[in-house]
Amino acid sequence: MTSIGNDIVALRAINITRSKQFNFYSKFISKAEENIYNQQLSNGISFENFVWLLWSVKESVFKYLQRIKPDLVFSPSKICITQLRIPTQNLVMEFEGNKTEGRGFNDETVYKTEVAFGAHTLYSRSVISSEFIFSAVNQEDDFENINWGIQLITSSDPEYQSKDVRMLLIKRLMILFPGVELSVDKSPYGYPVLLINGTEETAIPVSLAHHDHFVSYSFKLSP
Amino acid sequence: MSREETLNELKKVIAPYTTNKDMLSSIDDQTDLIRDLKINSANLVDIIIDAEATYDIEIDYDSADKMINVGTCLDVITEKLSQK
Repeated sequence: MTSIGNDIVALRAINITRSKQFNFYSKFISKAEENIYNQQLSNGISFENFVWLLWSVKESVFKYLQRIKPDLVFSPSKICITQLRIPTQNLVMEFEGNKTEGRGFNDETVYKTEVAFGAHTLYSRSVISSEFIFSAVNQEDDFENINWGIQLITSSDPEYQSKDVRMLLIKRLMILFPGVELSVDKSPYGYPVLLINGTEETAIPVSLAHHDHFVSYSFKLSP
Repeated sequence: MSREETLNELKKVIAPYTTNKDMLSSIDDQTDLIRDLKINSANLVDIIIDAEATYDIEIDYDSADKMINVGTCLDVITEKLSQK
């Protein structure tokens, strides 16, 4: 079964002081993961950004796996980042305007991780901007078929977040599948499903995320 | 501390993080933190840290993983209080 997961963290909504406190980050970051920061990133990005980078990867992994195991409980401490590769050029990407979308990721600005959860090995791509951290997860270390989008929205009310992220996703899909009636529904287990003609579930896995004034999506198309 | 007293304190812990404040007064064991109270998952660790401070307890990884609805939160807090 193919799946997809993504997550977004709005950096304006995080508590920077708390994020750096041991009793906070140690709830979901192991000593081995903390060492990744000390060895690879301490001269590059702030520790709070690292904390939320790992959170967004772990949340994305959970969303990926929840589609396969619907009764799965989110256990971020059991999702282990085993490798991290940093961008070749810019540790922090520029975010201009209020929307960015793409297919695949640019090595110059993307963080790559390998993640273990039980017997599963998954891979992530993340971007860090001054305003958000976004991650997407896939079962292969190849994201050429992963489509994604991020938007700054006007209201952080959950109702608007939900409506706006669906609209963002559907607009993108309408460009790829003109004339096809697509909509997003929620499975009984809470993950989103893409429907055609309002009832028939497609084989395209989609993932939605929101935090404060940012929403994001990812979906996977077969080659 | 009775379960009702623990619940009343828990409501204060949760209040800053829920956008569904109308529901807070009527929560019960089945109330889901994310689905029902619309708490962003990014705030789940905040709730655990605040609960530790409020009840003067320590909540380990495995216990934190169980805290997905009000009932399991109360179970974990009650267990930790009984171990003090």
